Amino acid sequence: MNIAVLIKMVPDTESRLEIVDGKIKEDGFKYMVNPYDEFAVEQAVQFKESVGGKVTLVSLFSDNSSIDTDLRKMMAIGADETIVLRQQGYRGDRTTSNARILSKTVKELDPDLVICGVQGIDYYQAATGPMVAHFLGVPHVSGVTNLELDGDKLTASRQMEGGLQIVESSMPILITAQKDMTKVRFPALKDIMMSKRKPFENREVEIEEGTDVVTVECSLPPSRGGGVILEGDGPEEKVDKLIEKLKMEAKVI
Amino acid sequence: MDPFHDYYGVEWYLILLGWSAIALGSHFYQVGTVVRLIRLGEDDDRFNSWKQRLTEFLVDWLGQRKVVQDKVAGYAHAMIFWGFLMLVSDIVDLGTGGLFQELLSRIRLDGIWNLVVDVGYAMAAIGIIIALYRRLVIRPEKLKGSSIEGPLILLAILGIILTAFIVEAGNMIGEDSNYNSWEPIGVLFAEQMESMNHETVANVVDISYWIHMVLIGGFLIEIPQTKHSHLIGTIPNVMFQDHSPMATMNPMQTDENDVAVKTDDLDFDNLTLGVNKFADFTWRQLSDGWACTACARCQDVCPAYNSGKTLNPMQIVMDVKDYGREHSSLLLAGKEPGETIIDRFTSDAIWACTTCYACVEACPVHIEHVPKLTDTRRHLVMEASDFPEELQNLFNNLERNSNPWGLGAHTRGDWAEGLDLKIGEPAEYLFFVGCAGSFDDRNKKVSRATAKLLKEAGVDFSILGEMETCNGDPARRAGNEFLFQMMAETNVDNLNSLGTLKIITACPHCFHTIGKEYEKYGGKYEVYHHSQILNELRQKEKLKIKDFEDKVTFHDPCYLGRIGGETEAPRNALGGELIEMERHGTNSFCCGGGGARVWMEEDADKRVNEIRAKEASKTGADCVAVGCPFCMTMMSDGLKSIGENKQVKDISEILLENLEART
Repeated sequence: MNIAVLIKMVPDTESRLEIVDGKIKEDGFKYMVNPYDEFAVEQAVQFKESVGGKVTLVSLFSDNSSIDTDLRKMMAIGADETIVLRQQGYRGDRTTSNARILSKTVKELDPDLVICGVQGIDYYQAATGPMVAHFLGVPHVSGVTNLELDGDKLTASRQMEGGLQIVESSMPILITAQKDMTKVRFPALKDIMMSKRKPFENREVEIEEGTDVVTVECSLPPSRGGGVILEGDGPEEKVDKLIEKLKMEAKVI
Repeated sequence: MDPFHDYYGVEWYLILLGWSAIALGSHFYQVGTVVRLIRLGEDDDRFNSWKQRLTEFLVDWLGQRKVVQDKVAGYAHAMIFWGFLMLVSDIVDLGTGGLFQELLSRIRLDGIWNLVVDVGYAMAAIGIIIALYRRLVIRPEKLKGSSIEGPLILLAILGIILTAFIVEAGNMIGEDSNYNSWEPIGVLFAEQMESMNHETVANVVDISYWIHMVLIGGFLIEIPQTKHSHLIGTIPNVMFQDHSPMATMNPMQTDENDVAVKTDDLDFDNLTLGVNKFADFTWRQLSDGWACTACARCQDVCPAYNSGKTLNPMQIVMDVKDYGREHSSLLLAGKEPGETIIDRFTSDAIWACTTCYACVEACPVHIEHVPKLTDTRRHLVMEASDFPEELQNLFNNLERNSNPWGLGAHTRGDWAEGLDLKIGEPAEYLFFVGCAGSFDDRNKKVSRATAKLLKEAGVDFSILGEMETCNGDPARRAGNEFLFQMMAETNVDNLNSLGTLKIITACPHCFHTIGKEYEKYGGKYEVYHHSQILNELRQKEKLKIKDFEDKVTFHDPCYLGRIGGETEAPRNALGGELIEMERHGTNSFCCGGGGARVWMEEDADKRVNEIRAKEASKTGADCVAVGCPFCMTMMSDGLKSIGENKQVKDISEILLENLEART
C-alpha cells in the first residue's frame, strides 16, 4: 500500500509568543511536528507493517528553518522517505494555497491513502486536509478516531456529539486523524540513527494563488494580575485590611 | 595413636587419594566453568593501580573492614574467616599424615604452628556458634525464608573443627608422654578422652579423621554451587573494586583516552546499547554473582525493597549467577537462551531502582548492583523502546525544552526576575540552577534564597539563564544515555564558552553529574554544592548568621552525602543543634526521587517518601532541612501524606531566615 502523510510544522507550544504591531513575532519560534500528524504517521506505519508498501511524508514549510531532526524522528517511527516543500514567505494560515501546492506533490506519488492530522495546532483551521482531498478529487473522512484496514476497504470511526459514526470506504481516500487515533511509539535510538540513511528531499516551491482569508490583527489574552497577600500583625489587622479592600477596591460589600 | 594405617588392607593414603581426586576434580571442574562464564563478559580494564588494589585487598578482604560493620554477624564471620586462614595448613598436615608438622619441627616452628592452628580452630568454632545462635535462635527478620543451607554448612564446618580436635587429642593420648602444651584446646579434648580405653580412642580418632576428610571434600564440591562460592569469588571482587567515583556511569563509547565519543560520531552499526544478554555485562559485573554471600545487607537498606516493590538488589545479583549456572551449557556454546537476563530481572524490578547506591555502600564485598539495573534500562530505552509511559513525556520534554516538565525553555531564567543577576557573563562562579530550581515554584524560592545569600556575601557569580539545559541525569538514570550525552555536550559547550571554572549548584544531581561525569564529555570544573559555599561564607564570617532556634533535622540527599561524600558542610552551614534521624550521613535513606523515579508512578500504598517522612517525624523536629530539590518535593509530599504538619526547607532558606541584618 502506498501511503502519503501530510506533516505540518507548527510552533512549539512552549515557544515564546509575542505580538508586535498586531502581528505574531515568529522569529523566536521553535517548530515541532503537529501532534495530530504524529498519529497519522503512526497509523500509516502500522498499515505498512501489516500489508507492506511505502510511507512518504510530505511537508510544506518555510525555506529558512531546519526541521530535519523532527522529520527524521517521524521516519524513525517507520516512514520511508520525506519530501519537504520549501517556500519563501510560507504562512501556516493560507489553507487553499497550501492545499493546492501539497496536492500537486501528493498527486505525483499516486497514493492509495493520504492521512494527515485533523488540524494544525497553530491556527486550528481544520481545512487543509479536506481541501487537498478536493484538489485530488478523492473522498475524505475527517476527525477519525479509529481506522481499520481490511483488504482494500477502510472502516473509519468518527466520534460525534453523543455518538459514534462508522464510515466504510474504498481507496484512494484522504483521512484526517483525531487525537488518540493511535498511540505513537517512541522510536528506539537505533531507528533514529538509521533514519539518517533514509531519503530526505527538499524542493523549492512558489506561492500559489488561493482564496484565503487574511488575518487582520492578533492579540494576547489580557494577563491576570497576581494575588495580593495581606500583611499585618495577627488575624484581626489582616481581616480589617481585607474588609477595607473588599469595600473600597472590589466594591462587593 | 593416629588414623594413618590401613583399613581392611587398603592403605589410608590410597583411600584419601581416591576421595581427594573426586573432590578436587569436581571442585576445579566447577570453578573452571564459572571462570569461563565470567570470561564471556565484556572487557573492563581494572588491571591497574596495583599498590592501591593490594592495600584495599588487605584492608577489605583480610581485614574484613566492611564485614565487621554488622557487629554480630560481622565479627562472627571475621572469626570464622581469620580462624580458617590460621588453620588451613592443618588440612595439608592431616592429608599428608603429619608430614607438614615434621617439616616444621626441623626448623623448630612446629610448636608455634600448633598453637596458631589450635587458636584458629577455636576462633572459627566460636564464630560458628555465634552464627548458629543468630540463625537458629535470634532469627533476624531478613533471614526468615532463607534456605536451610546456611545452618547446615555451619554445622558441617563445626563438625570439621570438632573432628580435628578429636584427632589432635587422640594423637596426644597415643604418645604416652606429656601433652603438647602448644595445643591447649587439643589438651582439653585429650583430658576428656583419656579415661576411655585405648581401643575406643583409636576408633573414635579413625572415625573422626574420616568424617573430617569427607566433610572437607564435600565442602570443596559444594563451594562453587552455592553462596559459598564467595570463598573464592570475593577475591577478584575485592581486588578489582571500582576506582571511579561512586555512581559514575560509562559513556556509550569511549576513545583511547577514555573520553566519550561525540554523539555525532557514534558508530551505531557496531554498538551494543545497554545489557540484555548475559555476555553484555562486563566480566566484573558477572563476577559479582559468585561473590555474593546473601548477607542481605543490600536488601535491608534498599528503598525499593523496603517499600514493597518487586526489586530486591540481592536477588538481582543472585539472578546473574543463577542465570549463568542454569544456562551455562548454552552460554558457553555461544548460544542465547530463550529467556534474557532482563526477563530474569523483570522490568518491574529494573524500573523500581532509585539509584541511591545504598546497596553498593552496604555491600562488604564491593558488589555493584546499580549498574546492572541502569545498564538494562539502557537496553530497554535505546534498543527495545520498552519503558514506563511516563518516561516518554520526560524524554520528549527534555528533548524539546530541556527540562523534565516541558515548560518553555525561554522561561528558565524567570525565577531570577528582580534579583539583578549577571546572566551569561563571565564571573568567578557560575550558579548552575538546574531544572527544579528554575521551573518548580517551591524550588524557585530556594534558588532565590541562594542567590540572595551569595549576593549578600559579595560573591561574583552569574547564571546561564536560557542557555542552561538539564544536566541530563534524569535521562541518564532512566536509560536514555543518548539524550543525556546531547545535554551534556550542550552544557559543556556553553560552560566552556564562558570560561567557567567554578560552579555552584543547589542540586546534588547537578553537583554529581557536572562535577564527576562531565569530564569525559570535555568539561572539567570545580563544582560545589551550595551548602559547601554557604558554609565557607559563614565560617569566614562573610555571612553573619545566627544559629537556628527551631528543632531541625537534616535529611542527607543520596547524591550529596553517600555518593558525593559531603555530610559535614550542610551541618556546619546550618549551625545549631540538629536532631539526627537514625539513618543519616552516608547511611541516609533515599527520599524515593532518584533514578528518574520522581517522574514515574508509584503505588500509593508503598511509597518510599512515606518511610523517610516517618523517620523524620520520629525525631520530633519541627522542620526538615534538605539540600536537594527532589528531596524537597518528596519529603514535603511524604510528610503531607502521613498527616504531619512539618515544614521542609532548604539549607539556604534557613540561613536566609537567620541572616543577621547588615551592620
